[in-house]
Amino acid sequence: MDFPVLSLLIVLPAAGALVVAVIPSSRRDLFLPVTTAITMIPFGVSVWILWTFEIRGAGLAIADRFQFTERVLWFDSLNISWNVGIDGMSLLLIMLTTFMFPISILASASIRKNIKMYMVLMLILESGLLGAFLALDLLLFFVFFEMTLLPMYLLIGIWGSENRIYAAVKFVIYTAAGSALMLTAIIWLAVVGGSAASGGGGPTFAFQDLTSIELSGTAQMWLFLAFAAAFAVKVPIFPFHTWLPDAHTEAPTAGSVLLAGVLLKLGTYGLLRFNLTLFPKAAVEAAPWIAALAVIGIVYGALVAIVQPDLKRLIAYTSVSHLGFIVLGTFALTSQGLQGGVIQMINHGLTTGALFLLVGMIYDRRKTRLISEYGGLGKVMPLCAGFFLFTALASVGLPGLNGFIGEFKVLIGSYLGLPIHAIVATLGVVLAAIYLLWSYERIFTGPIANAKNSYLADLNLREIGILVPVAALVLFLGLYPRPALDRIEPAVEAILERIESQTTFDVPTFGREVEVEAVGTEE
Amino acid sequence: MERIAFLSIGPEIILLGAAVTVLMLAVTVKLGSWSWAAVAFFGLVCSVFLSVVQWFRVDDFAEQAMGVSELPIILNYGGASRASSMVVMDHFSSFAGFIIFAIGTLALLSAWPLVKSLEQRGAEFVALALLAITGLHVMTLANNLLLLFIGLETASIALYVIAGFVREEPNSDEAAMKYFLLGSFASAIFLYGIALTFAATGSTFIYGGIEVFVNGQLLNLMVNGNDSVLLAGIALLIVGLGFKVSAAPFHQWAPDVYEGAAGGAVGLMATGVKVAGFAAMARILVGAFPLALPLWAPAIAAVAALSVIIGTAFAVAQTDFKRLLGYSGVAHAGFLLTALVAAEGGVAGMWFYVATYAFTLLGAFTIAAVVSGSRSGGSSLDEYRGLATRSPVLALVLAVFLLSLAGFPLTAGFVGKVAVFSSAIASGYLWLVIVGLTAAVAGLYFYLRVIVLMYFVEPALVRNPGTAVADPKASGQQQLTLSVALVVTVVFGVVPWPLLNLAKYAVPS
Repeated sequence: MDFPVLSLLIVLPAAGALVVAVIPSSRRDLFLPVTTAITMIPFGVSVWILWTFEIRGAGLAIADRFQFTERVLWFDSLNISWNVGIDGMSLLLIMLTTFMFPISILASASIRKNIKMYMVLMLILESGLLGAFLALDLLLFFVFFEMTLLPMYLLIGIWGSENRIYAAVKFVIYTAAGSALMLTAIIWLAVVGGSAASGGGGPTFAFQDLTSIELSGTAQMWLFLAFAAAFAVKVPIFPFHTWLPDAHTEAPTAGSVLLAGVLLKLGTYGLLRFNLTLFPKAAVEAAPWIAALAVIGIVYGALVAIVQPDLKRLIAYTSVSHLGFIVLGTFALTSQGLQGGVIQMINHGLTTGALFLLVGMIYDRRKTRLISEYGGLGKVMPLCAGFFLFTALASVGLPGLNGFIGEFKVLIGSYLGLPIHAIVATLGVVLAAIYLLWSYERIFTGPIANAKNSYLADLNLREIGILVPVAALVLFLGLYPRPALDRIEPAVEAILERIESQTTFDVPTFGREVEVEAVGTEE
Repeated sequence: MERIAFLSIGPEIILLGAAVTVLMLAVTVKLGSWSWAAVAFFGLVCSVFLSVVQWFRVDDFAEQAMGVSELPIILNYGGASRASSMVVMDHFSSFAGFIIFAIGTLALLSAWPLVKSLEQRGAEFVALALLAITGLHVMTLANNLLLLFIGLETASIALYVIAGFVREEPNSDEAAMKYFLLGSFASAIFLYGIALTFAATGSTFIYGGIEVFVNGQLLNLMVNGNDSVLLAGIALLIVGLGFKVSAAPFHQWAPDVYEGAAGGAVGLMATGVKVAGFAAMARILVGAFPLALPLWAPAIAAVAALSVIIGTAFAVAQTDFKRLLGYSGVAHAGFLLTALVAAEGGVAGMWFYVATYAFTLLGAFTIAAVVSGSRSGGSSLDEYRGLATRSPVLALVLAVFLLSLAGFPLTAGFVGKVAVFSSAIASGYLWLVIVGLTAAVAGLYFYLRVIVLMYFVEPALVRNPGTAVADPKASGQQQLTLSVALVVTVVFGVVPWPLLNLAKYAVPS
């Protein structure tokens, strides 16, 4: 086994939390720079992983698709192990996570209350997220999945705005309710299914082992639903979304950024990694229904977003809509759809993260989120207006910016499998233009209606420094998504191959290099 | 020839001696509380040490008892007959001893501010605590149901008195009276269960008596439909012990008693009884009636489900922290019973769960005593408002305990739940696990409510106008208890295998 770089990556932020914890509380000025520096280390490590990650072709066994794997027995009576590994899909999510954290920390300059605890929680949250994206043992995944819950609960509850307690408790109870069902399913799968897999040799929680077991269609369906319950709440898929607007709105800026940017991706990642791969038969059966819910979410989220008077709530509802695209792409069960779904996870993280950052910057100046309080801000804050328009256009899906490639692939992919769903979902693209551009118009254009807005300062250097890297990445992925897609494709193909080998489902060949070549030789 | 292996009852002898010495010291030389502490803790630490020795010597005992059975039976009266030994010393007994003595030591430590405040009467409290701990351990190592009953009563009567020890508090009287009346009732039921079991099997010995009969006759009895006496006996035994561990629907006393009894004493009352009660239940059900599993497992499952649901539902509405822990204890009794439906396969999980739960619960009660005072009965949730700003460390420690009780990952409570639920699933009780986990989520609400009060709400500035609220501070003894409880809760949450592996041996055979 090589150097355990993934363990290092997971442990680094938590170790950093210890460092932050020993800084005396009186040195308030130290916390922001030190924590930013600490979060730069995992980012550096993940860049190194990105650099050394090799793109592997199709046709490998599931277990061989993961790189940098480590497996150490954790508690032996249940055969639970410290089992981590990375493939193209988790690679990008790791990059997103480690990229968003320094930015969120830098965006937390307005935090005054108990800043030490805030930074410690942020770092624990990062460890939890990285662990969840890298874990290949189901129970280990669950541990990390839950570990993200608590810091976010406290971040919302302590540093949130007026209605924070309600939002925080609602967030935890919703998420925990979903994950309780998943825990039942994980234990059942490991104890009953795992024992069958090892020939009565006891339970196993390892993803690699569990992909080799044969489950009946009914068992798969129940397990699928139990896993989906946890992830549907997390994503969130309509109608499990009601916690999201509250949590996003009440959370402090960095909390909203991370919640939208990274935490929600745990749900979509879980659907891809576990639901599709472990329960292919059930996935094929359930796909049209979940895709239908996704489409409802796309249209519903967009419609509700249009009428929000509160800017942060508006962006929260756009997440419901955008996450709908990811789920639609996932359950289209086509190569294009899945690729679109994965890249859209990254895109949504960047653009929505940036939107929340901008809202936070405006909020810091005026202490209100009501759109009606603003107007004509473009005259006093031209830079802010520029960034907002840029990000909004990326979010809408303007070609050349990152949102386009993801939504386009999702729509193509789902049109191949589920044409009606795709046609309805297109509405979401149109509505996105309405809610984002209209809110831009109401906030930044026209005369300055409210005198309080006349003397607002434009973005300062720190804020520009936060936004520029995000904007650069938005542009880069929009113009040249190939490097990302190259890494996603093998991971996506692995899922589709698993589905094809287990079911009679025919994955449309369109856009799949492997399949197209095969057809060509036959002719 | 009479042969008594003193090692196996060594802790009992030492603790009884310590109890008597403490009382004598108090009436003769009157050296004050430090002398009681020296004697009591010397006895307790010796007992912990002896139970470790027992653990490693169990195999020697087994050799001595060879030719009789593989079972290491120590206290043999009148020759080497299996049916006539009162005490069984195996890994199960010594493990139980270790946990009970360790918990007892810590509970007495955390009660020490109360003992000091009682002045001369403190000696009685210490002696009663030692007697209670002795009785609790007798419950786990008895091979005879009557001896088990004697242990149960020794512990119970001592605890009735402890519950009402602070006589000036009216709630304390009420708690003691309620505990005494309902507790005696439950003891009587348990005794009746013994009688019926004796009627059906002709023996009160777990190994060598009942077990032999059940193994030999049960199928026959079941076929002929004549097992109703035995069935009633098992049911009454379960009811009697169910009361002691506060499983629903026999739980009503628990919240009242926890709320009424003095803050410093509750930890002792609540934790040790849980450990010993579940150990006794495992010993009886798994040891004496292994083949009757299809008869008692559904009943245990029903009680488990009911406990989990009732405990959680009532805990949601509580405004007193100790009452809340009382109802949460009912739910936890349900989780622990979930382990028992898996019979032998579940005992290791049960041990892990109950051992870590006892430490965590003791920690939580200790904090209640710190926040509301060792002598006070009630511990209103309002007193926890803004605790994070008033005493950050205390709030953090309590938050960890609450998360463990709620079953959050990386705490012992989570590992315990996983262990218990996996054994239940392996024996086909999926529905019970679903009920349990659903309740666990609902339970999150009231555990988090305390965290909300501590962290999200600013402290109420003055409790009574004119008097500033002092920041709660734990005494040295309480700090020690809290540290150990915290270490157990966190370490076994992250590194559970040493305890899980040990617990695998501690199964009644």
